[in-house]
Amino acid sequence: MDPLTGTLSAIVGATHVIARPSELIVYENDGLPGYHKLPRLFVAPGNREEAIAVVRALAASNAPFVARGAGTGLSAGSLADGIVMVGMQRMRRIIELDPVARFATVEPGVVNANLTKAAAPHGLHYAPDPSSQTACTIGGNVAENAGGPHCLKYGVTMNHILAATVVLPDGEVVRLEAPRDDEIGIDLLGAFVGSEGCFGIAVDVTVKLTPNPARICTMLADFMTVDGAAEAVSAIIAAGIVPAALELIDAGTIAAVEASIYAAGYPTDAAAALIVEVDGPIAGLDEDVAAVGRICRAAGARTVRSATDAAERARLWQGRKKAFGAMGRMSPNLVVQDAVVPRTKLAPVLRAIAEISARYRVTVCNVFHAGDGNLHPNIPYNASDPDEAARVHEACDEIMALCIAEGGTITGEHGVGLDKLPYMDALFTPDSLDAMCRLRSAFDPARRANPGKVVPIHRCKEWLAAPGVEA
Amino acid sequence: MTAAPRTLPGADLCVHCGFCLQACPTYLTLDDENDSPRGRIVLMKGLAAGTLSATDDAVGNHLDQCLGCRACETACPSGVPYGQLLEQTRAETATARPIGFLSRVVLATFAHPPLMAIAMAGARLLRALRITRLLARVPGRLGNLMATLEATRRGAAASYPPAPVTRARVAVLQGCVMEGLLAPVNRATERTLARNGYALCSAEGQQCCGALHAHAGDRETARALARANIAAFEQSGAAFVAVNSAGCGSAMKEYGHLLAGDAAWHDRAAAFGAQVRDVSELLAEAGPVPARGAAIKVAVDHPCHLMHGQRLSDPPARVLAAIGGIAATELPDAAQCCGSAGLYSLAQPALSQRILAPKLNGIGASGATIVATGNPGCMMHISAGLIRAGSDARALHPVELLDAAYATDHQADHQGGSR
Ligand SMILES: Cc1cc2nc3c(=O)[nH]c(=O)nc-3n(C[C@H](O)[C@H](O)[C@H](O)COP(=O)(O)OP(=O)(O)OC[C@H]3O[C@@H](n4cnc5c(N)ncnc54)[C@H](O)[C@@H]3O)c2cc1C
Ligand code: SF4
Ligand code: SF4
Repeated sequence: MDPLTGTLSAIVGATHVIARPSELIVYENDGLPGYHKLPRLFVAPGNREEAIAVVRALAASNAPFVARGAGTGLSAGSLADGIVMVGMQRMRRIIELDPVARFATVEPGVVNANLTKAAAPHGLHYAPDPSSQTACTIGGNVAENAGGPHCLKYGVTMNHILAATVVLPDGEVVRLEAPRDDEIGIDLLGAFVGSEGCFGIAVDVTVKLTPNPARICTMLADFMTVDGAAEAVSAIIAAGIVPAALELIDAGTIAAVEASIYAAGYPTDAAAALIVEVDGPIAGLDEDVAAVGRICRAAGARTVRSATDAAERARLWQGRKKAFGAMGRMSPNLVVQDAVVPRTKLAPVLRAIAEISARYRVTVCNVFHAGDGNLHPNIPYNASDPDEAARVHEACDEIMALCIAEGGTITGEHGVGLDKLPYMDALFTPDSLDAMCRLRSAFDPARRANPGKVVPIHRCKEWLAAPGVEA
Repeated sequence: MTAAPRTLPGADLCVHCGFCLQACPTYLTLDDENDSPRGRIVLMKGLAAGTLSATDDAVGNHLDQCLGCRACETACPSGVPYGQLLEQTRAETATARPIGFLSRVVLATFAHPPLMAIAMAGARLLRALRITRLLARVPGRLGNLMATLEATRRGAAASYPPAPVTRARVAVLQGCVMEGLLAPVNRATERTLARNGYALCSAEGQQCCGALHAHAGDRETARALARANIAAFEQSGAAFVAVNSAGCGSAMKEYGHLLAGDAAWHDRAAAFGAQVRDVSELLAEAGPVPARGAAIKVAVDHPCHLMHGQRLSDPPARVLAAIGGIAATELPDAAQCCGSAGLYSLAQPALSQRILAPKLNGIGASGATIVATGNPGCMMHISAGLIRAGSDARALHPVELLDAAYATDHQADHQGGSR
């Protein structure tokens, strides 16, 4: 028996330690199908003290580990390849919710949407709303600096985190707080948000709560060309309107959603549709709504309609947010991509992606945060067909190269994890990568937290000897 | 020991997105992905591929701990047919992991009408002698069983005249537990349908629906029962089969799938499935005819096999909305299983109670005296929990509430007329 099993069981109780391979396989992958890595052990602490004790026990036996929230990550970031996985799902208590000072302190396993549900009676919500919000955890959001449709106006996770208590990989517990405006020094909390589990485990997180807008208007505009939709996106922003959200879904995505239980009434004969949401105080909203309608029509929209009630609004959003899941019905396998291009380049980049997909004979379904230029070209395919799998792989590489060439980057919100590791070299200079390695060493000198992810280790010679890491 | 690879149609639809996790009562209770839909799909795929063994107790337990409530299906954007995967897996691993002794006895009783009649008569006797009430709060399994029987106690119902026939001919599924222990619910079903203009006819030779057998992995018995029912209802000449038990209705609507491999029966089964309606669907279709009724505070719970199995939540709401006196609010976890789940409360008594606990708290907080839920298992399980917790609240079928309201109105109008 693994010697750690007894040690960890003594901390969290035997039912929360899993050592049998037949039970560990459910923890082999995250939301990105295709990668499978069997953990050495799975351990789920039930509270802050247990989490700290677990990390300390792992430090004492020099065992590398990976934290896991809900395993909805899309970069294979929470995979534990023969190392210990620390599951945060039992830590799902809201410790404090202060509706007057508008903040909440939560355990890291609290599910994003459950926090908003708890804040709702006070007219508040937690603003970052990744499409996975009904499943993903605040801890995972912090680690990935998650975004979402409404981050266009309200900012990403980073902008909503006030503090975190972190147990560093060596077992030391530190409190990281957002620097005040008059403070000088290093923003360590800023470094932690988006660190993809490589800097330690957050055991509690304090987040801002945002007042619900007085009024919301959600519009659906459909276009007969993708170009028209992309142009409308640039034109809306250029007109000085800041929509709460601005999302583009193309024909392939619409077909998948409309076939699902989350069918939202998107027109199935359109080439693309935009979901545009404007919100704010009552005054001025009607002008924004009228302007968005005008701009969309000028760009070639066939129809522009507004959700008439909260139920229809929710339906429009449910369709968008479950789109990636709905694509599961199209083929046995799915590549979920995440890249960013400058918003003004949307139309030519989408054209180029269409050209690439035609050339490789693959189906690309676009569904993305258009207002941010954050693309998600997803490719449903059949992995058991080696020829098709190879074509999908090459098309992906070419799409990534295209985005970089257009001045964009390789991930907007899903993180680098394991999946984007090969693209890091193309984006960063050796000096930048080395700086990343050194920052990581400051938090985790023994290199035991989430080894082998994010920074390509062949760039950082000092990392090569790290336990659990293969070059 | 692993078996030869089998196919598991529909399992590949799972994209591992995790949207089903927070819908799953066992995941929320046990906090392990092995007890979640996403995890169980991985296990079932492993069993099908032969990389996992059906004799691996750990794997078997995780599948046994599944309620079969299908809340994961309602959450799944990809359309994974979870219920079918589970039934197929249970059927195909039944030799390696036989159905438990207690469950086998119950299933055999349900499949044999004379045995069932004896069992039900015995239960009614215990109830009539008030032994069930006496022992309902005894700790452990016996007390639980007595409370579950005590939960079926009903007072006398008043009657009222039917409306002239304006709608289709329907035959009501009598059911096993419904007719055996909750016959007043069947009578209320018949009266409310008649009050709404339906013509009632009987279907001789009808049997247990077979849902419990299929869920437990005994598909052959389920198929035999399905064939008997199809024949019985066909000869009744009814346009619709009215079902007041969500679990039975869900299974009967899916007879086409159950008999998919049976060339002689498949088409008949599919046609039959299309005629099956939950009683609330038929009532909602007819309005239903409004009633004033008495003023009561009702908490609404959704039976899984109505909400998730049949995707129906609006028709029962319309039945309750037809009753003027009722102030109805949904329980916060109305879409979540109560833990009854067919034989689950027998096979997994401890877990079943843990899953019920948050629901009982919600009922207490709602201040309601009545919980409306359209499935016998749920009514009995929830009421038993309430009885054992010393609460006066009880779970009733929505048609019982509508029926009582019609009766109250009739009595009031009748007295008003004679005054
Ligand atoms: C259908 C779907 C839609 C999605 N849409 C979006 C979207 O709109 N925007 C977006 O940004 N992402 C999206 N994602 C990706 C994913 O949901 C996010 O990356 C999310 O933040 C991951 O959270 P999780 O709890 O599942 O974390 P996991 O996947 O379990 O882990 C992700 C990373 O976080 C680390 N981690 C987890 N908990 C902790 C902790 N307590 N302390 C330190 N590190 C920790 C892990 O080690 C890992 O590196 C989507 C995913 C899916 C499946
Ligand atoms: S919601 Fe559906 S596709 Fe997503 S993990 Fe669950 S079963 Fe799989
Ligand atoms: S059927 Fe119910 S208990 Fe079973 S996996 Fe689905 S949601 Fe969970």
